[in-house]
Amino acid sequence: MAKIIFYGGKGGVGKTTCSTANSINYAERGLRTLLVSTDPAHSISDVLGIEIGRSIVRIRDNLDGLEIDPEYEAELYIEKIRANMKTILSNVIVEEINSQLDAAIVSPGTHESALFDKISDIIIDKYDEYDIIIFDTAPTGHTLRILTLPDLLEGWMGSLAKKRKSIVNMNKMVTRKYDEKDPVLEILERRQKRFGEIKKIFNNTDNVRIRFVLNAEKLPIEETKKAIKMLNQFDIPVDTLVINRIMPDDIGADFWEKKKKQEGEYLEEIEREFKGKEFIKIPMLDTDMSKSTVDMLSKYFGD
Amino acid sequence: MDKLKKFITDFGLFFKGATDFKGRAYEMLESETKTEMDNFILICFSDQLGMPLPISYYTLELLPYLVDEIEDWDKRMGKRKSVWEERWSNYDLDP
Repeated sequence: MAKIIFYGGKGGVGKTTCSTANSINYAERGLRTLLVSTDPAHSISDVLGIEIGRSIVRIRDNLDGLEIDPEYEAELYIEKIRANMKTILSNVIVEEINSQLDAAIVSPGTHESALFDKISDIIIDKYDEYDIIIFDTAPTGHTLRILTLPDLLEGWMGSLAKKRKSIVNMNKMVTRKYDEKDPVLEILERRQKRFGEIKKIFNNTDNVRIRFVLNAEKLPIEETKKAIKMLNQFDIPVDTLVINRIMPDDIGADFWEKKKKQEGEYLEEIEREFKGKEFIKIPMLDTDMSKSTVDMLSKYFGD
Repeated sequence: MDKLKKFITDFGLFFKGATDFKGRAYEMLESETKTEMDNFILICFSDQLGMPLPISYYTLELLPYLVDEIEDWDKRMGKRKSVWEERWSNYDLDP
């Protein structure tokens, strides 16, 4: 059985709802399940009505949850470097590096790396603790990125470690200190090993399943096509699609009345919650997205 | 036969190196090591110079251990006058 399941798909199709429902099902069958949200706009808490945070929380029997906060993870990592630094360096230099570390927290790419680091930690450290780990990811591009990163990063770390090793060897000949250990090389090799482990887990298709959620509508179908094609290029198979929000077969007037009533309640809530804002109201159409429907909707945006 | 040839060549090279009293070998090794160190600093922190680096987050934790090397790098880069001179001095052009 697959150990790790990634839920992907276009924004708004119901990834969080489906991944949560799926994990509840596993938990009820007695499997120890961990549900992890990697979407920066977390919504598991909203779906379940329970506060889930940046550390693992018990949701119900056999089911734990976690919403990764990349900013918090990046800060933890950088604090660790700072603490480590104070033990080996003089104060003047510490100051100088500190400003570089401060800049790193807000630099582009930091969030993605911190997120990926946390995902790796969960997969490696919690692998034996849970029977199944379900990831609710952010819209499609993000899922692909997570799955292809270990390969890229292992390569980078590998070539850095190789380079460092040759420098260390050359330097030993120059300084004639042959038994000194190089902390830089140790860090690089540790990283490389860790990325390699993740890569191995991801490459074993018995371990990992990707499930795409889509609706029976034009845009989600198009995006799912692109995603599957791209994953195939990386030899990552997708074998399950979750089609959400299919209309019932015995659809009748009462179904629509109920829908309309619920919508009315939410419209009231919107007007109450966002009082004072301007609303542009656009009706639902009986046809799906196309060039002509967009043209038709454009008239609602007058002045 | 090939083995014997290789042995003779290696034997010759060994004496060439061992009797290199001008100390060129050591000097060359030292300068080569420094160049390699400089290159390493560059590929670890190229994002600081404006080149995108997908692993800059992971090289951050190397910083505390590379402080001395970065300082040397800084000095050497500051001292550079002529890249050509540096290049040519690697070759023994004395007659």
